[in-house]
Amino acid sequence: MSTRLLTDQTMFQIYLPIAEISVNLLVMLGLGAAVGFLSGMFGVGGGFLLTPFLMLSGIPPAIAVATGANQIVGTSVSGTLAQWRRGNVDLHMGAILIAGGVAGALIGVLLLRYLRGVGQAGLIISLTYVVFLGTIGTLMLWESVNAMRRHRAGKTVSARKSGQHNWIHGLPFKMRFPRSRLYISAIPPLVIGALVGLLAAFLGVGGGFIMVPAMIYILRMPTNVVVGTSIFQIIFVTALATLLHATLNHTLDILLAFLLIIGGVIGGQFGVRAGQKLRGEQLRALLALMVLGVGVRILIDLVVRPADLYSIIPMSGG
Amino acid sequence: MRMATRLLTAFVGWALLTGFVSAQEAPPPAPVIKPGTSQERVQADISTREVAIQSDFSGIEILIFGSIDFSDARMPSQGTYDVIALVRGPDDSITVRRKTRVAGIWVNGPSATYPDAPSFYAVLSSRPVRAITSNDTLHGLGIGLSELDFGRETAGNPQEQSFESALIRLMEERNLYTENDSGVVFIGRSLFRATVALPANVPTGRYRVEVYLFRDGDLASKTKGSLEVNKVGMEATIYNLAFHQPFLYGVLGIAIAVLAGLMGWIAFRRD
Repeated sequence: MSTRLLTDQTMFQIYLPIAEISVNLLVMLGLGAAVGFLSGMFGVGGGFLLTPFLMLSGIPPAIAVATGANQIVGTSVSGTLAQWRRGNVDLHMGAILIAGGVAGALIGVLLLRYLRGVGQAGLIISLTYVVFLGTIGTLMLWESVNAMRRHRAGKTVSARKSGQHNWIHGLPFKMRFPRSRLYISAIPPLVIGALVGLLAAFLGVGGGFIMVPAMIYILRMPTNVVVGTSIFQIIFVTALATLLHATLNHTLDILLAFLLIIGGVIGGQFGVRAGQKLRGEQLRALLALMVLGVGVRILIDLVVRPADLYSIIPMSGG
Repeated sequence: MRMATRLLTAFVGWALLTGFVSAQEAPPPAPVIKPGTSQERVQADISTREVAIQSDFSGIEILIFGSIDFSDARMPSQGTYDVIALVRGPDDSITVRRKTRVAGIWVNGPSATYPDAPSFYAVLSSRPVRAITSNDTLHGLGIGLSELDFGRETAGNPQEQSFESALIRLMEERNLYTENDSGVVFIGRSLFRATVALPANVPTGRYRVEVYLFRDGDLASKTKGSLEVNKVGMEATIYNLAFHQPFLYGVLGIAIAVLAGLMGWIAFRRD
């Protein structure tokens, strides 16, 4: 019986040197392509889908996080280039976000390292996913449904209410961001960048799902530069997270990342085109639903009694 | 003259022998062998001394084959001999965790770490091991999943024992611990073979292979061998780089990603 099992699975099976398991080549390419498509369409890294899916495929959580971060580097590069050509990247804003992101990524990698040691990494990763995905998803869905309702009523909608001042404008260290037509303090983008860097390193996500709404609702950036600038910052933060995970935790699987990137780059290009055919609020509603769906899925895993209460972790593995 | 004498002696010997057999009309009685004085020797080898893990590795079956020298068995079905083959991977530290419910959420609760758990363990035998020999002998030789020593005192503690049985069960689910009652097959009077399946998730390192020969419940002979499971080719290069040159490895990962992203964009751009 075992003989048949082994030979039947040989087709398209590939052994991953760091994860130390054998996976199906086509499944991993397809997963990369699906996530890349969403990445191009919404301007998110897609890691919030990729990392949980990798864990479901049997990749150890820490390896899924590090490899997910590496994959996002690849899809973000091609995504940024596509956005760059359309003049949708605010370099000034990107630089400030990256500065914050570097600090956040460092904290995230060290935090994950500590939690792995005490055996609670999986739980904290899952809980953080639920809280962030749940909150962001609900807020986005609420906003986009309202926007769609207004749109149907014939009113013009703009996510950016220019001229309207909020608490952000009271902060010091004001900077000029010509591309975004903003003159605001550098502190909010630094904090947002740091938070996104922390999430990138800790959850293996690009952080687009939090950065895009933060840019729209807190920084009040014009929607057309939001996606390009977000994905631009994601390249640097996920690259740093990849490097830190590889150096400190030895959890990066280059072969797995390579497969996911190949699929992701191709999927990403189609995603960008698909995204242009949808209106902003439709795009946001769709993303919100997806974010909520993944959040609920992770929550179910936490609440439902596991089939096996016991789990084993070999020290030599991930 | 000398030639004739020799021929005569041979004839007389033959006549005596055939006469003796026809007179008795029964096989000769089995020679009485006292425990510890038996002549049998077991010899065995492994089909593959080195298992190479490459990118297309999805598990492999290795064959342990051997023979019993000076076998007294007349027929293969006689059941005089039993063979137990043991394949044991390098020891590893394994942590078992039990989930408990805290505020409606299942979290990792108590845990137990086993410092010397074998990373792979397979017992193959010609019959159920408990039918072959006594529990004391099995215990002394460490044969069978229930006789494994994980380097942790568990006797008399129900909590510890539940952790240990969970460890064995989970390792069995991963095909890393196996017991096969009919895994050793005799071919003829003295040849035997046993196949061990090493799954795709097989740990790397040096494996010990032990073959025990039992005669009527007593250990008659044993032999040892070893087996290396290694990553080779690209797999080994990646693994070594990741653990010995981690910074370079991380930079390489980023470079591949950036390059792939760049090439994807060039290949697909329309403007």
